[in-house]
Amino acid sequence: MPDSLAGLPRAAWNWLLDRLFFLPPFPEQIDSLALFSMLLVVGLLIGEWLHARAGWPKVIGYVLAGTIFGPSLLGWISIEGLAQARPVADAALGLLMMEVGRRLDLGWLLRNRELLRSTLADINLSFLLIFLFAFYVVGLSPAWSAATAAVTMASAPAVVLLAIEESKAQGQVTERIILHTAIAAAASFVAFTIVLGIVHAENSENWLNAIVHPLWVAGGSLLVAALAASLALAIARLLPKASLAQVFVLVASALLAVGIARMLAVPVFLTLFLMGVVLAVRDTRQALRYTALPEGHWLLAIILFVVVGASLPWAAFTWMTGLQALGLLAVRATAKLAALALTGGSLPRNKRLLVGLGIQPLSATAVFMAYELAQLYPEIGLSALALPLFAAAIMELAGPALCRLALRRSGECASDTQRNGGIA
Amino acid sequence: MSKPLGDFTHSAALSLGVELELQLVSRRDFDLTRAATDLLGGLDYDGRFGEIKLEITESMIEVSTQPQATVNGIASDLAGLRDTLRTHAERNNIGICGGGTHAFHHWPERRICPGERFDELYQRYGYLAKQFTVFGQHIHVGCESADDAIWLTQALGVYVPAFIALSASSPYVDGVDTLFQSARLNAVSAFPLSGQCPPLDDWAAFVRHFEFLQACGIASSIKDLYWDVRPKPEFGTVEIRVCDTPLAIEQAASLAALAQSLTRWLLRTRPELQTASQAHVARYNKFQACRYGMAAQISDPVARCCRPLGVSIGELLETLTEDARALDCEHWLKALHTIVATGGDASWLRQRQEYFGNLNDVVCEASGRLLSTPDKY
Repeated sequence: MPDSLAGLPRAAWNWLLDRLFFLPPFPEQIDSLALFSMLLVVGLLIGEWLHARAGWPKVIGYVLAGTIFGPSLLGWISIEGLAQARPVADAALGLLMMEVGRRLDLGWLLRNRELLRSTLADINLSFLLIFLFAFYVVGLSPAWSAATAAVTMASAPAVVLLAIEESKAQGQVTERIILHTAIAAAASFVAFTIVLGIVHAENSENWLNAIVHPLWVAGGSLLVAALAASLALAIARLLPKASLAQVFVLVASALLAVGIARMLAVPVFLTLFLMGVVLAVRDTRQALRYTALPEGHWLLAIILFVVVGASLPWAAFTWMTGLQALGLLAVRATAKLAALALTGGSLPRNKRLLVGLGIQPLSATAVFMAYELAQLYPEIGLSALALPLFAAAIMELAGPALCRLALRRSGECASDTQRNGGIA
Repeated sequence: MSKPLGDFTHSAALSLGVELELQLVSRRDFDLTRAATDLLGGLDYDGRFGEIKLEITESMIEVSTQPQATVNGIASDLAGLRDTLRTHAERNNIGICGGGTHAFHHWPERRICPGERFDELYQRYGYLAKQFTVFGQHIHVGCESADDAIWLTQALGVYVPAFIALSASSPYVDGVDTLFQSARLNAVSAFPLSGQCPPLDDWAAFVRHFEFLQACGIASSIKDLYWDVRPKPEFGTVEIRVCDTPLAIEQAASLAALAQSLTRWLLRTRPELQTASQAHVARYNKFQACRYGMAAQISDPVARCCRPLGVSIGELLETLTEDARALDCEHWLKALHTIVATGGDASWLRQRQEYFGNLNDVVCEASGRLLSTPDKY
């Protein structure tokens, strides 16, 4: 809490403390539970208010709440408060990443080669164009250019899932947005792991770290993911399918994976995404296939986006970085739309373009990835990765709206009134 | 706006056509999904096996064969339609399934397809239109004359319970075992013009009856008559509309064989119709067949007794053997004996539910059954 605000209560409390010996010292830090509930309520209120008044996606409200009350603006959420909320944000992001991993349907790519072609085009074109922009236009080093491309090439799984859930969208555009998001997330994680080594190699003489760190991240995440998924499946097979008990097992296993990943310093988003993929691939008896996450996990998602909003480095904003971030987003949007438009497919071109629009969000995963990379060499990392962070900051507000626009234009939202006389 | 009935189109006697309403399901959880418009929009198909069309909600489609002289022709068309759909559904990651109801879908999530007629139906029937996300098989049998079509509409009405029991594949609604063998027809019964065709002597009487309904503002076109069996002047056929969509297309062909053989036998023997007394028991018999399937007790208003439906169907199939042989569909008809013995699709669905303990896996397996070769099951 800012000192100016706490000054009078502290004085009053100390006055009372002199007379009432049972009182504890003035609480200098807000209790974690109180902080979570405040984040939840404030995020929820702003999200609902924007949704009701302006028809904006609720996610924008959550991010705005974090941005306004975070360290960069009002400062009501301190850096320490952010650190306190991080485990909850990790859990929320982890659950959403696991859900995206579970929806990675590789079988569909094999059955529809045009889809495989468009996902490959999206991944490669996005990485390549963003790398070239960062390297030639912005002037970053090859390693940080690659890091920028790895961080921003994919869509935002959490935003996409939340937008789809919020609008109850269902249909081909929706399904392809999810598939593209999942595939691009997988590709960006591979790129991220490789880039870890490159960043070490460029910034340090220590080759051991350059080799072992990517292996630690990839191997550690995969091991934790495989163990947690195997545990979940082993217990789930003993329980009725889609039962509440299975929901508990799924969530508990995911939280276990989050905890171990944090202990081993391997990225939570990567571990849980891999856990989702392992669950989808190894669940041959469909033990957990029909078990959905509980509705309550969206409450955690509110905290996630408030934390993401509060984590955005607005204090370091410059007009030049802002312009460069806009340029990066323009290049990224061009890559994605061109990949979808030019690679053909079983959907008409206008619907493919809507898929391209729907995968524009850039959010929590990118921010967390950028911070993971920046923390390796904080003295240069934070400035080098200001570009993807500001791009993510802009897309925190624009991304959910673009995704929702794509879903609405496709006519797949439950509340849409169809153009040709259809009724929702 | 009222549409004139028009002339009865003459068609080859005993020619056949089959329409199947099919479920579109998500391959992730096997719940119904909204996919019809996109699936049909991307269809690369020349229509050689018949039509593939939208139905009232986005979670269903209708396939209809070409008019065929034989059941073999119907089976061949259905196989062609199935293979076409399988290819396109796989590209769109959609599952296709038979069955009269989806076992656990949530009807408010259904969405009316774009189109003036569907829009008009929704405005007229409200939520019933969404609850009408049920799946039936319609069998058209060609009639040489309009009078024959009206006579057959009456004559075939007696056998409605048999068609219901043999096709019953809708024991689950909203994830619950309804205890019915065919719960689908309960959704159809909610519509005001569902039920039986009233006793009518000939085409002229039917025209007068229809004009009466139009004058009273009850019906505007023949499509508004949701009768169990109705004449279809546009095609020159009589249409049997009570069957659930079976879980496999081979069963659909067998039901077409029953319709064709029975029609031939009826036209050949011209039994005396007891339409007035049948009208008193028709609803009861229909309920019995929907609720109990082969174990139904069917009321005979002439003999004034009840008989087990399974026994009556067994006898009927024996009676029709000669006609089936003449029509070259004996092997299709014989397959129905197995349904009489085992209880058919409804029993199979319950057995699979007992085995899996959940309905997602049941729909998954049912989808595989529709799209795969018959020997597997």
